[in-house]
Order: sequence, then structure tokens, then C-alpha cells
Amino acid sequence: MNTEYSQAVPATRRTSREQCLSRGAAVRGWQRLVLGVLCLFVLPGCGQQQSFPARPITLICPWSAGGGTDRVSRQMAMQLERRFGVPVNVINATGGSGVTGFTRGARSRPDGYTLMMMTVELSMLHWRELTEITHRDFAALSLLNRDAAALFVREDAEYVSLADLETAIREAPEPLKASGTAQGGIWHAAVAGWLDSRGLPADAVTWVSLNGSGPSLQELMAGGLDIVCCAVAEADALLASKRVRCLGVMAGQRLPTAADIPTFREQGADWEMAGWRGLGVPAGVPEDRLQILTDAVEAEATSEEFREFLSLAGFDHSFQPATEFGPTLEAQDRLFERVMTSDALGGVAADAAGGMVFPTVIGSLLLLAAAVAVSTRGAAVSNEAALTMSREGVLNAAAVVLSVAAFIASVDLVGFLVAATLVLLVLLLRFGTHPLKAGLIALTAAGAVQLLFAGVLRVPLPRGLWFEG
Amino acid sequence: MAEILTAAATTLADPLVWGVVVAAALYGVAIGSMPGLTATMGVALFVPVTFWLPPVPALAGIATMVACAIFAGDIPTTLLRIPGTPASAAYAAEAHELARQGQAGRALGMALVASITGGLFGAVVLMLLGSQLAGIASWFSVAEYFWLYTLGLSCAVLVAPGRVSLSLVSLLLGLLCSTVGLSAVHAEPRFTLGIPELLGGVGFIPAMVGLFGMSEVLRNALALRRRAGIAADAASGQADVGSVVNTAPPVVSVSLQQLFSRPVAWLRSAVIGVFVGVLPGAGADIASWVASAASPRGGQSDDTKMHRIADACTANSSSLAAAWIPALVFGIPGDSVTAMVIGVLAMKNLDPGPDVFQKQAALVYGLYLTFMLANLVLLPIGLIAIRAAGFVMQTPQRILLPLIVLLCVVGSFAINGSLFDVGLMLMFGLVGVACDRLSIPVGPMVLGIILGGPLEERFVQTLSGGRGSLLAFVERPVAAGLAAVVGIAWLVAIARLLRRGHTAKTPDEPGSGQEATTEANASN
Repeated sequence: MNTEYSQAVPATRRTSREQCLSRGAAVRGWQRLVLGVLCLFVLPGCGQQQSFPARPITLICPWSAGGGTDRVSRQMAMQLERRFGVPVNVINATGGSGVTGFTRGARSRPDGYTLMMMTVELSMLHWRELTEITHRDFAALSLLNRDAAALFVREDAEYVSLADLETAIREAPEPLKASGTAQGGIWHAAVAGWLDSRGLPADAVTWVSLNGSGPSLQELMAGGLDIVCCAVAEADALLASKRVRCLGVMAGQRLPTAADIPTFREQGADWEMAGWRGLGVPAGVPEDRLQILTDAVEAEATSEEFREFLSLAGFDHSFQPATEFGPTLEAQDRLFERVMTSDALGGVAADAAGGMVFPTVIGSLLLLAAAVAVSTRGAAVSNEAALTMSREGVLNAAAVVLSVAAFIASVDLVGFLVAATLVLLVLLLRFGTHPLKAGLIALTAAGAVQLLFAGVLRVPLPRGLWFEG
Repeated sequence: MAEILTAAATTLADPLVWGVVVAAALYGVAIGSMPGLTATMGVALFVPVTFWLPPVPALAGIATMVACAIFAGDIPTTLLRIPGTPASAAYAAEAHELARQGQAGRALGMALVASITGGLFGAVVLMLLGSQLAGIASWFSVAEYFWLYTLGLSCAVLVAPGRVSLSLVSLLLGLLCSTVGLSAVHAEPRFTLGIPELLGGVGFIPAMVGLFGMSEVLRNALALRRRAGIAADAASGQADVGSVVNTAPPVVSVSLQQLFSRPVAWLRSAVIGVFVGVLPGAGADIASWVASAASPRGGQSDDTKMHRIADACTANSSSLAAAWIPALVFGIPGDSVTAMVIGVLAMKNLDPGPDVFQKQAALVYGLYLTFMLANLVLLPIGLIAIRAAGFVMQTPQRILLPLIVLLCVVGSFAINGSLFDVGLMLMFGLVGVACDRLSIPVGPMVLGIILGGPLEERFVQTLSGGRGSLLAFVERPVAAGLAAVVGIAWLVAIARLLRRGHTAKTPDEPGSGQEATTEANASN
């Protein structure tokens, strides 16, 4: 498997690192291990420099480490790193269903050194008015994969086809409970859109807002849900062991990986919906750099290695070059305008507990606890005696706070190494270390941290505008 | 069975496995001892390497890395009061207190021994009962999780040093912080003040590094005298060096003896760890809080602190192997680490599922054995790490403090690569100092920030699943049972509070032995 990967890449494009790796795959045992570990640690130094890219590239992944999007991001990063000969670091800028990551990506400098892993949420979030950012803030590089939504029920459920389920939904005395993701997420939109296309009201199914397909499947098995909507790959193990049943996949044609599952269309429901992932850069990257990136990403995304990765990981391979991906993004935007602003999704958003219920409960309890604490204050001895304030001490603490604040304000401009050295220098001098010794310690420590975090642990520390040109 | 074990054992004879395990152990110790770098991040960085490895070494590497990272998290916790991983936050105050009394070596020795024995227990349980235990996960629906999280949070309040009402304030502040941002269950942003970074909420890494690490720096800076400090540093430094450097094999045997002088406590903690670990969505951090709450409260003596450390470390390590059970059996990842394990299995064309124990028996048993190997390798490497960390105690404060500031800055930056998080860390540092002045413990606040999101989600999900009826929380038997446990824990706490109020009025009344010690210490 390892050697196949390397064979698939054109020989002319081989960098020294890749040769390390293919050699690493060819030898056995200890040698292989040592080479593998060496390759991991010397990556930044391995490989030749080109005019672009000449320094590390950052790939922003809007979802957390370990998830599907993260895995696709890291595979892509690894392949691009080999091609370019510079480190490609994945940052997981998570939160807000992707808002944090997309915001970071759209606001980063369009110099080609920041790549964005775009996901279907990019087409959805701005219709929920959670962000101003749309796909127009990015230039498309390639569509990498697409995972069609599918409906799952427990194996012991009485419905065996989509029509049965629809009947059950129509006739249930109390609405059936469904999940697969949070309120307003992609799988929720998929179910709401399907219901809408069948002329069913928005509240025909109660959407329980669970955080992801894993917890939803677990809840399905625990009996707390009736229906789960997610990608087929996410339920593979349960499907194979006959604990859940798949009633249909919302794709144009049957999936090559699961050919026995009928599509919605085959069962008479005119509805398709899929999550997707693709690479982009912030809009405004110079034409020549964009071309280099587009060529590289298209070549890597169509490589045998990437295909094999996707199929092993259970993802569907749906490559589209930049020229097609752009129009696809536009079409997705139109589709979600329809779905996200329709009654189908808007109506379901009214929840049993509104967003302020929990904070209100916690806030009231906090007031209560604080009242008890204050009223019994006499019983406790205050800690203040232990902390006598002196002018010197206050100045010490102020130096710490101000130097960290100065670090935050200046690091993007002067880079990590300079900013960290200055923080250390100021504090060491303030705390009474000899200036010569302080200088030495500051430089060594800042350098060591830079080496450890940026070099070995691949944390992209700011390099500073001064040094980037 | 016998031939499977033989087959599994032969896979372990491969020098590649040993090489990977040793390398992963070193890497895990490095990751775990850096505040801000979590075991999850370490595994994510390690995954690309697994592409070139056969399945058993690949999984052995992940298992070893996580086990070592969870132990190594105790090193900065003890020496600097900055939890290296969230799993160490439960006993940060106790461990650092011991270190300041020159007992860092003892505390770390205990943490190491407890981690190893806990980890081994977890591995044995995984081996003997793996497939049976998997069933537990399917008893747990959202209502049960709600009560489990409530139990974890209650434990954090009840075990925190000082008055219960202040711990409760701390916890509730943490829970309130966790509601900032775009809630996973609602389609609306809350308390974001229009700042896009806050849509992602208050990260627990910057909060933890700020509340524990940065506040400790600020407190020390407030007390630091330029002249007088130097002499005092040198003196206290000397005292501490001895105890850390002396953590050689004899201390291990002493720690072992001390650990097993309380066999029931050890077993209880290990079982708690396994039980919490086997549930998807509850991991090492909850395990260590629950176990230290189950640990009897016998005042604030050094021995009690040591027991807390022992119990919590045993539980957080024994939960690690158990967390693999739902991943292997159902393909449902309990946390990000096991999500990546499933990814690695898929890359190797191995499908997790209930028949994994039949179809992939050699692999699964090989994996069990590597869990044991991982914990055995941890012993020498952990000892080396403790010795290497000894230099921290030798460094005078005026040099150490600036270095810790840098570590706090990088640690809070690393996880998301965001300067906003560094600012957040600084703010929580100031909050930490304020809390210290008001005698409010910060441990519950950190747990509140970590668990607030999942707790609210389960709360809303249970309500919407039950269509708004509060009965949904206690309808299912397991949920009702857990609710009763939470209720009893609080009743006991309130009863104790009332008694304390009584004894406080009549301080001369001779209380019943241990209880009196608790009162005396609690009001100090």
C-alpha cells in the first residue's frame, strides 16, 4: 500500500522528502521506523525551495481534530507538503458550526500562504445570519469529496422502506424523533427539505439537536431517537453488524461503496442532499500564485493516493476542478437559500427550551450561591492576609500583564521570536536578573520554544510581517 | 483463545512495535508536559506517521502516546500548578501544595505509580470484559448523560477545598462562561458582543492555562522581592531539588506500598475510571473528578492530598483503555482520540464492529497487550521525565516566572493558533488572582467550562425529546438511579454544612475524630 502511494506521483515532481518516504516504505523494521520518525521531525528542512511557496503554508480546518474534515485536511496537507517541499500546517479553528474557521480564513492575507478547507456550512451559515461570510470571500481550488445524506432507523423498526417511514411519520400520534447533527445543520436541512418536498409540515418530525452523527447513532440505539440522518460511511460499522437499517440515500445514483442502498429518487422522492468539502483560498490571491496552487491541488486531488485514502476512509470521491467548483458553489448557495429560508427549517427552530433558558437557570443559581457565600462570610477567614500588596509587587504583576498585552499587539508584525524575546527580557530585567544573563536566557528560551513548537510540534507561530516581505 | 494470545504475543515480538512504543512514549511525555498541548492534538500529529506502519504498531503508538501524555500532564501540574492536560485539573491545588513543601518527588512518584497500575487495570478489563462492557453504552441516552455530567460537576464542587458555597459560585461562573458563543443546540449566538471569535465560545485550554498557570505567576510576582527573593529562592530551591532528584527506584517501591496500603480505594478508583471511560462522551477528566470525590475527606493533611492524587490518577489512567471499547465494538467514537483510532483502523482496511473480536482477534488481543506494554514503558520514561523536570525546582523564581509566562502564552496559542485565546488566557489569569483573594477555588470553574456545553446540550435534548416535560429526566430507570445518586451527594453535603455551621458556633465542642479535623482545616 505504501509503495503504491509513491508510485502514483509523477517521478519528475518528487522532492527529497518523498524519496525519504518511499525508501522508508521499502525497508523493514527498525530502519523503517527510524526513517519514519526522522521524516516527521526534519520535514521543514527537507525539500527544495521554489519561488512560491517559499515558507510554511497554513491550512485552516473549521472542524476539530479527529473528525472527517480534519482527516481530509491532514491528508491533503501531507500531499501538498510533499509536492511543495514546505511544511503545510493544519490549524483547527473550531467553533460556531464553522463560523470561526471561515472568518479566520476570509480575513487572512490573500498571499497564497493560507488555504481554507471549505465545507457545506459555508453555503448555509450566512442564510442563518450567523456570519457575513459567503463563498464569494474565497477563490475555489477544487471540490474534494461529497457525502450524500442517508436515513437510518433501528433494525427492529417496523418500517423497511422510505414509503413506510413516510406513512409512519404521517400517522404517528406523537411526532417521531430524529437527529444526526445540531439544529440547522446539514443533516437537519436534508430531512427538513425531504419533508418539505413530500408536502409534510415542518413539525412532522421532532429534531433533537445532537452534536454529530456519533452521538446520534448512540442515541438511536439507546432508544431515544427513531430516525438518524447522516452519511453512509458514518454508520458503516452499525450497518454491517445489522444494528441499523438504511432506508435510502439522498443521491442522484446509488453509491459505489454501498450499492445495495436505494436512492430517494428510486423510491419516488424527488430530493437530493449532500455534504461536501473543498479547498479554497481567500479571494484576492495574485493570479500566478493562484495558478500554482490550483495546479497542485488538482493534481493531488486526482492522485491515486488521495482516491485510495478517500475510499479507505469511507468517503465518496467527487473531484471537481476549480472551473467547475466555482459554479457549484454558486448553485449550492441558491439551493440553501431555498432550504434555509423556507418554513421547513424556520418552523422547526422553535425549541422546547430557548437559548436563554439554561443561562437564566445558571444565572439564578449563581446569584443564590453568591448570596449564601456572602451571608456566611463571617465564618471563613479571608485569604487577604496572605496577600499583602506592596508597590513593588503590583509593579511586577503589571509588568507581566502589560508585556503579554504588548506581545499580543505586536507579534503579527515582528514575529514570534522577537516578541517572545522582548517579553522575556522585560520580565527578567524587572525581576532583577543581570542584563547580560537576561539577554542570554531570553534569546535561548525564545529560540528553543520556537524550535520545539514550530519545528517539531508544527504549531504555526507568527513569523512576522517584517520578515515575509 | 490460547493460540490467539500466542499470535498476539508474536506480533509484539516485532522490534518495530517496541521502537514505536518507546518513540511514542517520549513524544507523549513531551506533549503532555506542555501546558496547552492535549493528548488529542498529539494523536492528530501522530496519525500521518501511522500510514507507514502496520496496524498493531500504529495503534500501539497511539495507545502509548495517550497513556504517557495523561501521566506527563501531572508534571507541570505538580511543579508549576498548570495542568498539562484537563485530566490533571482535579488535583492541581493539592499536588502543587505538596511540591511547595518540598514533596514534589513523592507526589509525582505516586502519580506515576497510580497511573501505571490504573492503566494496567484498564487494559486487563478491556481484555477480559471488552465485548460485554460495550453494552453499557447503549443504556445511556441523553437523560443519563445529563445526570452523569451533573454528577461530575457536583463532585468537583464537593471535593474542592474550602467552603461549598464558594466552590458552587466558581462552578456556576464556569457554566455561565460556557454559554458564550453559538450554542450547538440552538441556532442563535449568545453573549458574543459582536466579536466573531466569541462565536466559538470560551476555549477551556486558555481558561485552564490562565486560571491555574497565569494566576500563579501573577500571585508570585505580587509577592516577589528583588533582593530578598534571591536568597529565599536559593534556599527553597535547594530544599526541593533533593526531593525531586531523589525520585529513584526506592521511591517507586515506597509509592507502590503507599498506593496499595489502601487496596479498596485503589480498586474503587480503577473501577470508576473504567465505568466512566466506557461511556462515549465522558473521559479521563470526568473520571478523575468523580474518583477524587469518592475519596474520603479526611482533612487537608499531606496524606489526604496524597490519597486524592492516587485516586484521581488511578481513575484517569484506567479510563483510557475503556474508552476504546465503544470505538472497537460499535464504531462510535467516545472522544476525538478514538475517532482518530477509527480513522486509522479504516485506513488499514479493518472495520470496527461487534464481530471485531472474532474476525480480528489477533489484532484486538495484540492491542490489549500493547496497552500493558505502554504502561510498563511508562515506568522508566516517567522516572526520567520526573528527574529531567527537577531543573524546574532548581531555577530561581525570578528566572522561572518569565519562562512560565512564555509557556502560558504559547500554550494558549497552540491549540487554535489564535491570539484572541492568548488575550483570553491573560484575562482568566486576572480572574484567577481575584478568585484567590476571595478564597474561591478555580478547579470547579475549569470543569464548568469544559462540561457546560455538553451539559446544556443534554438538558435541551432531554427536554425536546420529552416534548418539554421535566419527567423526561427521570423516566428511564438508569437516569432515575443517577439522579438519586446526585441528590444523595447533595443532601450529604448540605447536612455536613449544617453541622459545620453548628460546630462553628461552639468551637470547643469536641467533634468526632476525623470530622473535627475537617472542620478545623476547612475554616483555615
